[in-house]
Formats: sequence, structure tokens, C-alpha cells
Amino acid sequence: MKNKPYLLFILMLILGLALVACGGTAEEPAVEEPAVEEPAAEEPAAEEPAAEEPAAEEPAAEEPMAEFEPMSVAAPNCDYGGKISSIEAVDELTVVFNMCKPDPAFLAKAAFTPFGIQPSEWIAETGGTGELLEHPIGTGAYMVEDWVRGDSVIFKRFDDYWGTPAIAETAVLRWNQEGAARLLELQAGSVDQITNVSPDDFQSVIDDPDLQLLPYANPNVLYLAMTNTFAPFDDIRVRQAVAMGVDRQRIVDNFYPDGSSVPDYFTPCSIPNGCVGDAWYDFDPDAANALLDEVFGEGERFSTTIFYRDVFRTYLPEPSLVAVEFQTQLMDNLGIEVDIEVMESGTFIDESTNGRLDGFYLLGWGADYPHVTNFLDFHFSAENPQFGDPFPEIYEKLEEASTIADPAEAEPLYVEANNAIRELVPMVPIAHGSAAHAARADLKGVQQRPFGADYLYLLDNGTDTVVYMQNNEPISLYCADETDGESLRPCQQVVETLLDYALDSGETVPALATSCEGNEDSTVWTCHLREGVLFHDGSKLDANDVVASWAAGIDAANPYHVGNTGTYGYYSYLWDGLMNAPEE
Amino acid sequence: MAAITEIPSDNIADIGDYKANSLWRLTVRRLFRQRSAIVGMIILAVLIIVAVFAPLIAPYDPTAVLIGVEDVKKREAPCIHLLGCPEDQPQHIMGIDGNVRDVFSRIVYGTRVSLRIGLFTVTIAVTMGTLLGATAGFIGGWLDNLIMRLMDVILAFPFFLLAIAIVFVLGPGLQNAMLAIAIVSMPAYARVVRATVLSVRETDYVEASRALGASNIQILFSRILPNALPPLIVLATLGIATAILDTAALSFLGLGAQPPTPEWGTMLGSERNQIFSAPHLVFIPGFAISITVLAFNLLGDGLRDALDPRLVHAGVKSD
Repeated sequence: MKNKPYLLFILMLILGLALVACGGTAEEPAVEEPAVEEPAAEEPAAEEPAAEEPAAEEPAAEEPMAEFEPMSVAAPNCDYGGKISSIEAVDELTVVFNMCKPDPAFLAKAAFTPFGIQPSEWIAETGGTGELLEHPIGTGAYMVEDWVRGDSVIFKRFDDYWGTPAIAETAVLRWNQEGAARLLELQAGSVDQITNVSPDDFQSVIDDPDLQLLPYANPNVLYLAMTNTFAPFDDIRVRQAVAMGVDRQRIVDNFYPDGSSVPDYFTPCSIPNGCVGDAWYDFDPDAANALLDEVFGEGERFSTTIFYRDVFRTYLPEPSLVAVEFQTQLMDNLGIEVDIEVMESGTFIDESTNGRLDGFYLLGWGADYPHVTNFLDFHFSAENPQFGDPFPEIYEKLEEASTIADPAEAEPLYVEANNAIRELVPMVPIAHGSAAHAARADLKGVQQRPFGADYLYLLDNGTDTVVYMQNNEPISLYCADETDGESLRPCQQVVETLLDYALDSGETVPALATSCEGNEDSTVWTCHLREGVLFHDGSKLDANDVVASWAAGIDAANPYHVGNTGTYGYYSYLWDGLMNAPEE
Repeated sequence: MAAITEIPSDNIADIGDYKANSLWRLTVRRLFRQRSAIVGMIILAVLIIVAVFAPLIAPYDPTAVLIGVEDVKKREAPCIHLLGCPEDQPQHIMGIDGNVRDVFSRIVYGTRVSLRIGLFTVTIAVTMGTLLGATAGFIGGWLDNLIMRLMDVILAFPFFLLAIAIVFVLGPGLQNAMLAIAIVSMPAYARVVRATVLSVRETDYVEASRALGASNIQILFSRILPNALPPLIVLATLGIATAILDTAALSFLGLGAQPPTPEWGTMLGSERNQIFSAPHLVFIPGFAISITVLAFNLLGDGLRDALDPRLVHAGVKSD
């Protein structure tokens, strides 16, 4: 009797084991199913390139055999207001850009990442969206191997690259919004280089023998924006009051690193014609309050919200602190009650640039190319709704000025445009920030580029893998339809443009085009493509790829004009509008 | 043999006075015999004094930016003259935050915010939970099923995730955060009350009240619910600690108190990146949260021991 419990226990144990064993075998197919599915799921992924390769190779193989059928894209006429009249492939290696009006900044613009070239077949295959957003196919030194959402983008060296091959076989792009966290990763050696060191950490990087500080001089501006389609910002006096009621010097002194400055103009002075006209308002809270009293009555004020994204930028190194400082100043100086609202980065960009934020918002701009149009035309063109209804007093002058090649000749127009900006106050320029990246001391090939992102293919840490950490995750990798710096950086590693910026200046240098020549009045630009350049899918670069890539961006009626949001911000703003845009 | 309760000699004098030996008097006496509860009460008393007299204790307005007012820089370390900080420097015993505000003043005013959060949240949760639990337990039937399944649904979600989801729907802000925490805390109170109601509603004295013509409402509120008070008090006291902690967590994530409210979770969250460069900005609000939560937890534990007749207490022993 005494042994019965033990016997029962042993029996139970055996039964249990048997059940587990049965369960295991029973579950195995269930476990295997995904395992079976995985290859099945992978198959298309694996097959895709395989399927593409022949597809891509076919034209490559056929290319010498087949007749080259030149493509083109053209606006019905120049009444649409944009700069580009047509883009034509003349022969396999020649593309001609016909302009509606002179554009002396063509070369500087054409070197900008959103105007990167992808195979026409790939654009067609993806329909201009979907896979194109995550797996761009370019001609760059690196190709995208994987984008692990929320973690990293992994690049593999492209062995058939036409230029200097990448030093490291693998490049990993990671991100972290927190400046301190990025620095910790760098100090721990888990990344080789980080972007935007927090101003408070400059000294600790300098003092650390294992690290190097990499200051860079990218012209930028932080501005406090208002959308004039929402009350009370539809009243110019309110905007002017805000312009006079914010102590910008106090913000720069307390929240920006040494070398930063209070702007007198929207455009930094290192850009020709950026700083012409009347300087910005002085801090004058009494005058500001007098204006507000006129609008709202003695002592009566309004309440609103200040929106921002908590993303470190050269122009905004400590977003949350600066937002609170604005909240404090607007209340103390002007009696305006402000709530603070932090928004997700992509949503914030979308909402702000489309003029849908009904309060103040904090946004800024880092120069993409060294021309005043990059600052003024982007922000104040007739097509840009971010400050509400565009101001003809500004954009008409800008449109006229942008057709003049000689900076001295264009200066009077920029004086008028800058004065109109000062008078109409679509925004308040707050700061020109100075900034620095940091890298491990033993990392070779580091760059301090004033324009364009760092090239990962030049980095050499002595191993097969370099790890670069930026501030945030890319929104998408189809940069024709992105304006976010965090998206442009990975795009630039993969997709190349006709021209590029020199590593140490804003000069343009040959890239996919060996040269681009303009006619006398800058209305026709002819670009000669480099011979023998291969895309990552093995296909060969030709003039049709250039036309197809540009057409997807500039032509709103193009079937592949889909992208991520469909905005194609840079195509629209830098070329004064899209061809065949639907009427609003 | 049933256990014989021996009443200690020092309590014999009280036996004659029935009123003096009411549950609450005994509870208070038991409570004051527990050191941890006393520590909790002392801390709490200090916090209440700080909260009430915040304007007298805090040297600065908690939202006042000291740029241009004093010669201080953002994130300056604490300066205490008694500990050797030069006399010509303004004294800031807990340092300066990233927006150049006095941290001590913000911590002092933060006490008000935190206590208010705890009390408001638990009051809402207890009131709603009690009403729902009592209704479910007393009426029973399909209403009981409906209410308790609803509570089960709330309990099925991870506590904090549900709170975040509610705040996302209602919008960020301290009031909405408190409401969210109250909603997700409610089922615990509802369950306790319902269990008590179920166990008491069939007892003889309730039947007697019913026979004497007492209405359902009278029976519920004067005969049944008082039985639920001891566990509710314990749960609520511990719940205050949880509410403060959870609201601080929501504020840390930017979903609770909004700037420039001097709320400890917000203070911690806004300076979290400075843990190495300015650790005082992270540790001080963190410590304030910890000490407040600890106070309520100690008091809650003490109350549980004092109110639970099954536990052995000093002065009352069983064989």
C-alpha cells in the first residue's frame, strides 16, 4: 500500500513523458510548417532577385543588340509654372534637360540625392512604390541588403561599382534619437561614427583619446513657423509681434553650442545673396505687446500649441528644452499661453509641410546644395503650403531671381524677397546652429562634408563591417519622395545622382554624368553619362534610366508617380512645380 | 479545542468600555505598534506638510526660468553653501535643470502634484469600483455577469499598455493620465467589493435587517459595505503608490503631465539623457518618486496587518 503513491507517480511520469513526446511529434509539423513556409516565403524573396536578375540581365544582355529607343518626358507647355520643359534621352549616354526658364542652379540641384537614378525597369516593376520604398536599386558603392525595421539598414559592398569600391564589405546604419545614447554607443565601441553630438558632450568627446570630434559647417536655420490659414496667424500683426517678442539671443546662448548664431536673415550668410536686405527685428517685447493689444485688446491674448518632433538636428540640438523655452518666453514676454505637443517625426513632417498645424511649430533646414534657392525657393515658393497661403510678394521675386545666373545681378531681387519675408513673417528665424559628428579615433576616411551626407564606403575601421549611427530611422529609401535627412543618408549610399558635391565644398563634381553643360542662358542642360556603369541588379545605366527616374518624380501624370506620400517635395519645390499636376 | 484568546493585562481596563474597543480604535492601536507603518506615516506626514506649505518652502517659482535673473547655467550641479559652495554663488540645493529652473522648487511643488495624482486616481477608482462591485454582488444575475465580464476584459489587457492606449485616445495630459490609471485600477476594487457583498449578503444579521423592513439600499450601505472597508482601505493605500508610479511613468513617456508642470515623472523623462552628465537631474526626481511610493506601501502593509484579523498581532495571541 505504501508503494502505491510512488507507483502512481511513476505511472503519471511515464504517461506525461509519453504525452510530451507525442505532443512533440504532433507539434513538429506545426513547427515545421512555418519552417516550410519560411523557405516558401523566402523563395519569392530569393527568387525575386533571381527572377529580376534574368529580367534585368536580359535587357543588359540585349542592350547591345536591341535598338535604343530614347524616352522623354515633357510638359504640354510651360504654363504650368515649373522650370522643366522636357527631359529627353538623345542617345544611350546623353540626356538633355530643356528648361522653361533659365536655371543657373541646375548643376547644384542635380547633384542632390532625391534626384538619384534607378533602373527604368525597376521603377516600372514596382509601380513607383511598394518594394521601391525599401529596396532601391542604384549604382552606388553599397547596395541595400536588408532593412530591419526599428533597428538598422544593412548594406553590402557592390563589387561592380564604377568608382572606388567600398573598404568595408558590410556597412550598418543604425539610429537612436538620444544624443547621450549615441555617444554611449560610440564610447562602448559598438558603433564607429555617430551624428550630432549633443552640445553638452562636445568637451567630453574632445577629452576622450578614443574619440574624434568632427565639426562640420552645414549652413542651417531653425525657425518658429506659423500657418497663415489658421487664426490668429492670419493676422500679420500677430506674426510680427511674435517676431519681436522672442528673445532669440537667449535661446542661442543657452541651448546651442559655441559657434552658433542668431540669424539676421532666413538664409545663412555663407550662401551668396542669403544675407541681403534689412536685418531681422530686434527683440522688443513692448512693441510686440502693443501689436497684440491692437489685435486682441488690452491685455487679452490667445492660447495655442507648439508642435515639434523630438529629433536631434543641427539646427535644433535639444528640441524639448527649446520648446519649453519658447513656451516660457511666449508666456512671459507676450502673455501667450502655449501647450507643448511632441509629434512622431514622419507625421510631424507631413503635417507641417502641408500646412496642417494650427499652432506654432519648430522646424529647420540644413542646406542640401550651396545656393540661395535651396533655402528661399524651397520654403517660400508658390507651391509650398507649409506657411499657409504662399506670399506672392516673396515668391514672385524668388522666381525672377532664380533665373539669373550672376549673383550680383540677382542681388536686388533677393533684397526685395528678404525684406518681404521680414515684413510678412511667415516664420521667425531663430538660430543658425553649429554642430559636430563624432567617430572612433582610429576610424579612417571620416568626412566633414558641408553638403551631402557622409559616404560610408570611405570609412575604414580595419574590419569588414562599419557601423554608423544617425538620429532617426529613415522614413523610406525612395528619396525622390522624401525630404528627411535621415532618409537621404541611406539613399545616398545606394543611389547616385548625375553629379555630386565635392567632399570638402559645395562644388559639384562628376558622378553618373561625366559632365553637364548648359547653354548661354542656362535654359538647356546636356548631360553626358559615364559609360559602363552598372546598377546593383546588373543592368546597365543608360539615358532612359535618367529620364524614367526623373519622370517618376517631376511628372504628376506619370503612372509611377506614387512614392511614399506622393508629395515629391524636392521635385515640386526645387523645380517650381510638377508637370501635369492635377488642378486643386 | 478551539483557540483561546488571551487578552493581555494592559488591555483589560478597556474591556469595560465597549466603544473604546471598536474596530477602528483597535486598528489604530495595532497600526502604531508597527515600525514600518510608523515610518510610512512619518514620511507621508512630511510629504503632506511639504505639499501644503510648498509656497513657503520653495525658494523659487517652479516654472520660473532663471536666465538673466541669477548667474546660473543650465544643468548646474547642486550648490549648498554649508557644504562649501562659494557664498557668491546662488544656492540651489538640488541644482538647476536643463531649462535653468531651480530643481528643489520643482521637487517641492511636485509633491503637491504627486499626492493629488494618488488621491484623485484612487478616489475615482474606489468609487467606481465599489459601485460596480456592490451592484454586481448584490443584484447578481445577468447584471453581475455583465459587470464582472467587463472587469475581466479590462484585466485581460496589460495594465500599463491599456493605460497608454486610453491616454492615446483621450489625448496626453495629466488629467487624462489620471483618468486612465483610475479606469485600469477599477477592476481590483470591484472584485474585492463584490466578493465581500457575496459573502455577507446571506448572513443572519442581513436577513434580520431585511425582516425588519430595511430597504435594499439601507442593507447594502449600512450592513454589507462596511464589511468591505478594511480590505478596500488597504487596497486603496497601496493603490495610491501604484497610481503615483504609473502616472509618473506615463509622464516620463510624455503622455502625462505636460511642461512646464513640475511633475516628477516629467522631470525625470525630460532629463533622462543627462544621467551621466548631470545625474542629479535624474536621481532627485527618481528618489522623490521612490520615497513617496515607499511611504504609501509601508502604510498599506501596516494597515493590512492591522485590519486583518487572521494575522497575529502584538497584544493578541492565539494558542
